[in-house]
Amino acid sequence: MFGIVGKARWLYAASALAIASACSGCGVASPAHPPGVVNAVGAENEYANVIHQIGGRYVDVTAIMNNPNTDPHSFEASPRDARDVGLAQIVVQNGLGYDSFMTRLEQATPSTQRTVIQAGRVLHLPSEVKNPHVFYMPGAMDKVAERIAQTLEKIQPRHRAYFARRLAAFQASLVPWQRTLAKIHRQFPGAPVAVTEPVADYMLQGAGLDVKTPWSFQAAVMNSTDPSPEAAAQVRALLQHRKVKVFVYNQQAVDSTTESLLALARKSGVPVVGVYETMPAGHTYQSWMQAEASAVFEALKTGRSSLTM
Amino acid sequence: MTWYQYIWAPGIWGNPAVHTAWTAGTLVALASGTVGVFVVMRGQSFTGHALGDVGSTGAAGAFLAGVGALWGFLAAGAVTGGSIEWLGRRVRERDIATGVVMAFMLGLSALFLYLVSIYTNASNAPMAILFGSLFTVSPSLQPALLGLSIAALAILALIYRPLLFSTATPEVAQSRGIPVRLVGLAFMLALVVAAEEAALAVGAILSTALLIGPAATAARMARRPGMAVLLAAGLAVGNIWLGILLAYDSYWWPPIHTGWPVSFFVTVVSLGMYAAGGLIQRVRTTVREGGR
Repeated sequence: MFGIVGKARWLYAASALAIASACSGCGVASPAHPPGVVNAVGAENEYANVIHQIGGRYVDVTAIMNNPNTDPHSFEASPRDARDVGLAQIVVQNGLGYDSFMTRLEQATPSTQRTVIQAGRVLHLPSEVKNPHVFYMPGAMDKVAERIAQTLEKIQPRHRAYFARRLAAFQASLVPWQRTLAKIHRQFPGAPVAVTEPVADYMLQGAGLDVKTPWSFQAAVMNSTDPSPEAAAQVRALLQHRKVKVFVYNQQAVDSTTESLLALARKSGVPVVGVYETMPAGHTYQSWMQAEASAVFEALKTGRSSLTM
Repeated sequence: MTWYQYIWAPGIWGNPAVHTAWTAGTLVALASGTVGVFVVMRGQSFTGHALGDVGSTGAAGAFLAGVGALWGFLAAGAVTGGSIEWLGRRVRERDIATGVVMAFMLGLSALFLYLVSIYTNASNAPMAILFGSLFTVSPSLQPALLGLSIAALAILALIYRPLLFSTATPEVAQSRGIPVRLVGLAFMLALVVAAEEAALAVGAILSTALLIGPAATAARMARRPGMAVLLAAGLAVGNIWLGILLAYDSYWWPPIHTGWPVSFFVTVVSLGMYAAGGLIQRVRTTVREGGR
C-alpha cells in the first residue's frame, strides 16, 4: 500500500462522514472534499498514482485495485468502490475489457460531473486488442497523463500552470525508463525471451526483445484457464534448451503451471525476472517501470534473476 | 500436417504433462471404477456426487492454508462422509442428510473461493477445483494417489463378501449376524477416497462422471458382481485414457492451438460408454428373445 492513496482514503472517509452528517439530503454527486480539491479515482493503483502526480494537492485520489494479490482480470468491486466512483469527477481506467468492473460501477452511479478517461481509447486502440496491459507500453502513460492534465484544467482552470508544470515533470521523469529500454535494444537487439502471460509484453517488445512464448499459452494463463499440454511443452522446451535469455513471469498470477516453469528455468540456468500487474508498494509508476526494465537489462547482461521488487 | 494428426497428435509420448495425467488418471480410475459398482448397486450415487462436490470446500480451504489440494479434498470428504453416516442412519433419512450437509459445505466453498480470489494469487483456483485439470496435476502427487487407490481397493477386498450380502439383502444379512453398519462405514471410507480422488482428477463437480459412469455401464452389461467390478475398473481406465488422448488432440481442432479441457472429454466418453452399453444390452435382449 503506498502512502498517498492510503492517506487519501482516510481523509476521504472522514470528509464523507462529515458530509453525511451535515446534509443527509444531498445527492451522491455533491463534492465531498475541501473546496478546490477534485475527487479522482484510478481503477488500478498505477493510474491513481499518475493522477496524483499530475493533480498534486488539488486532487484527492482513490485507487480501486491496489491489492497486489488480486488479479484485475477477476476483481469484483465492493459497495465502497461504488461510492468512490459515484463521487469522482475524474475516473482513469485501463479499458479494453481489462477493468470491466469499472464500467459496471460507472453505469450503477450515473453522474454528469464525471469524466472517464480510458487508456485504451486515449491510445486509439481497437477494443478487441489482444493484450490489454497498455500501462506497460512505452509512451502510453505520457498520453494518459496529458489527458488527465487537460481534464483537470477544465475542472479547475485557475491551477492550469500548476498542472502543466507537474505534467512536464512527470513526462521528464519517464525518460530514464525509456533510456533503459533503448539500451536493451542497442545491446541485445532481438534477444529471445519467454513469458508466462502478456502483462509486460509491450515493454519487452518496446525494448526490441522477441517474445517466444506462444500466444495461446499467454492467453490461457492471463484468462486463468489451463494451457494445452502442447503449448506448455513448447514453453518448457524454450527453457530446457536455453533458447531464451530471460524468463519473465507475472508475480500476481502464479499457478501450478507457472510454478513448474519457474523451477525449470532455475534448473536450466535461465535468469528469471518477476513483473507486477499492479504497482508494488513503495513505488511510483515511473520507478516501477524503471526497476523492471533495469531488472531485465541486468538479467540479460549478467544472468542475474530478480524475483521480487 | 497430416490427416492422422487430428486423432493422434504428435509429441504425445514425450509430453511430461500427458505422462503425469496418464499415471495419475489410471490410479484414480481404478479406484473410482471399482468403488463405483457398489455405489450403483447400493443406490448411493447422490452421496457419491455430494462427496465430490464438497471436495471443492476442502480444496479451496487448502489453497487458503497453502496446503496441497488433495489433502483438502480428502478432509472435506471425510467430514461430509462422517456427517452423512451419523445423521442419516436410516435409508430414508440418508438423502435428506446428504442434501443438507452438501448445501452447507458448498456454501463454505463459495466463501473460501471468494477469499482465495482476494488473498492469494492462485488465479485459476476456482476453475481448477470445480472443473479439474488433469494436465496440471503435479507429478509429486503420484505416490499419494497410488497409496490412496491401494487403500480403497484393500478396503473393498476385505469387506467384499459381507458388503455384497448387505447390499443385496440388508435385513437378511443383519439377521445372519453380519455387522451391516460397520460394513457400511468401511465402504463409506473407500467411497470418500475414490470420490475425492476423482474430484481431484476431473474436478469436484464432474467427479460423478468417473465414479458413476463406467460403473453404471458395467452394472448394465455384466451378469455377476465380480465381472461388473472388473469391467467397471477397465471402463474407467479406458474412459480416462480416451479423454486424455482427445484433449491432447484437440490442440489441432478449432480454435486451433488452444485445446479443449480434458474434463469435458472425460464426461463425453463417460456418457458415450453408458449409451453404448444400453444399446448393446438392447441388441442382446432382442437377439436372445428372437432366438427363443
